[in-house]
Amino acid sequence: MTTSHDPQLLKGVLSLLLLHLLAEQESYGYEVAQRLQAAGFADVLEGTVYPALTRLEREGRLATRLVPSPSGPARKYYRLTPAGRDALKAANAAWARHVASVQAVLARPLPATSEKGP
Amino acid sequence: MPSKVTKLDRLRIERLVWMLDQRLYDLPRKSRIAKRREVRANLLEASADHGAREALRRIGTSGTLAREYRGAEFGDSPRHSWIAATYFATLVPLLLNFVLSEAANAYAQALGAAHAAPGTFTWSGIGYLQSPLTFTVDPGGITHSGGAWTPAVYAGWLAGTIACGRLWRLLPTPSGRRQTPATES
Repeated sequence: MTTSHDPQLLKGVLSLLLLHLLAEQESYGYEVAQRLQAAGFADVLEGTVYPALTRLEREGRLATRLVPSPSGPARKYYRLTPAGRDALKAANAAWARHVASVQAVLARPLPATSEKGP
Repeated sequence: MPSKVTKLDRLRIERLVWMLDQRLYDLPRKSRIAKRREVRANLLEASADHGAREALRRIGTSGTLAREYRGAEFGDSPRHSWIAATYFATLVPLLLNFVLSEAANAYAQALGAAHAAPGTFTWSGIGYLQSPLTFTVDPGGITHSGGAWTPAVYAGWLAGTIACGRLWRLLPTPSGRRQTPATES
């Protein structure tokens, strides 16, 4: 199922998603974008994913290596560093807290709405 | 559905890679080359999967991609641009010297056309831009000296370079200015 996501919300969780995907399996940029799209984030474009990977690399959360490709130029594979694993744990915990807080608010009953205003 | 990457597709990909590279000149050379190679490799693979048109659509414009890459490399706060400052600092003197030189040549040609008697002539030069020029007419020809930039031109050149490169952003920011309270107490 592919539905559109709020771009602002996606921007906030893109790093978490990328870290998790790369913790599962070492990947190159295009493959990461494909995996994200297969996971239901069809509106996350490659043009957003590649700079996000660069940002994580600059922050020391990802390490890279070049692997020759049989079908073209060498691919740049990304994998998590120990700092990346720590960041993933912290981001996971923060996301769980965030979801729990949002759920707690959304679970409150709403007052019955009247047709006419006061 | 996999599709064959044609020469035209490769040209379109190379065009985007080249345009991206032009916009990444503020990045260190090694980093720029790495990004160029990575984007090219990913685009070629995406083109083989979805066609060049779709691959290029999904990666976005070179301007947006470059802005994202610069943000990823340097952070999202406004940044100075050495390349813009260098362009201004280099091109403006070339252009200004060309204009001043043409003006001096025009004056010398006017003296020649008027068959001026041997001697010296003084022209005040282009106002505010240069010091007076002295033309010497003798049977061998017309020579001139003077016409240097005025201090105002040097000041304008420096100010223009700073403005073009937004070089004031190099100054350290007071630590309190960047901290915005999330909530008010």
